[in-house]
Amino acid sequence: MMDDKNFNDIDINVHDYDIVLKIKDENDIAVSRQMAKSFAQKNNFSLADVTKIATAISELSRNIYRYAKEGYIYIKKKETEPGKDISIEIIAYDRGPGIENVERAVAGGYTTSQRSLGLGLSGIRRLMDSFYIKSEVGKGTVVVVEKRRRRF
Amino acid sequence: MKTKVVPTIKLYDYLIVPIQIELDDSTIEKLQMQLLNEISERKIRGIIIDVSMVDVIDSYISFVLSETAAMAKAMGCYTVICKIQPQVALTLAQMGIKLKDVFTANSLEGAIDILNQLD
Ligand SMILES: Nc1ncnc2c1ncn2[C@@H]1O[C@H](COP(=O)(O)OP(=O)(O)O)[C@@H](O)[C@H]1O
Ligand SMILES: [Mg+2]
Repeated sequence: MMDDKNFNDIDINVHDYDIVLKIKDENDIAVSRQMAKSFAQKNNFSLADVTKIATAISELSRNIYRYAKEGYIYIKKKETEPGKDISIEIIAYDRGPGIENVERAVAGGYTTSQRSLGLGLSGIRRLMDSFYIKSEVGKGTVVVVEKRRRRF
Repeated sequence: MKTKVVPTIKLYDYLIVPIQIELDDSTIEKLQMQLLNEISERKIRGIIIDVSMVDVIDSYISFVLSETAAMAKAMGCYTVICKIQPQVALTLAQMGIKLKDVFTANSLEGAIDILNQLD
């Protein structure tokens, strides 16, 4: 199916997601940031966590735009078990060049960009509760992160 | 190019820059150009960037702010970033991002004090 993104063991069914955003223009980075912010706000995340989620999406979208030219951001609310609190899951997916040394890229301080800090992926990992990345040279990159809602 | 993305206020030889718009990549790059132009044309010796309305500062925005401050410094001008929202500061700290080449203050008065002391 055209709508379904498949990246080896990761299946993304677009119908499961509350927000699907195509990242293609530079402006889409700011748009994704704003959408993530209002989605997290609407779901009663704390101000600190709203900021962390919006910042993480900003980093993911920029990586898509910069390194893969285009790709998608998927956002959904996840209700785990009844009584337990919800979380927000974010997937960044692209079919760009992929990352040669994923471990090095995630460790932080490494960048292939000239005007950059190399602290995007490592930063996202620290901001979120869970972080998963799969990347294959010539195939693309998928990053899956999750942030749980905390009582405050 | 003389287009201003952010209206600025000159006070003594300081320039106050209240950012009240979304900082997408092209906007922050234009802002950098604007500030460097204003430093040279209006003989500015200190820049105060008020980010109290900015609710996301990611690694690229941080990079451009520091880069701008480094360029300004080379032109004899110091940069103070003023009123970073607490949750933005928290996020930057957690990501391990340090704003290099800038001073920070939590009020406009504090920012002016810092610049006065540097003179
Ligand atoms: N979606 C992607 N596709 C290809 N390469 C990527 C992608 N995301 C990140 N990378 C690679 O990983 C490096 C580190 O990324 P990141 O931590 O975001 O820092 P930065 O973007 O500042 O370089 C990048 O410089 C790039 O080489
Ligand atoms: Mg990045």
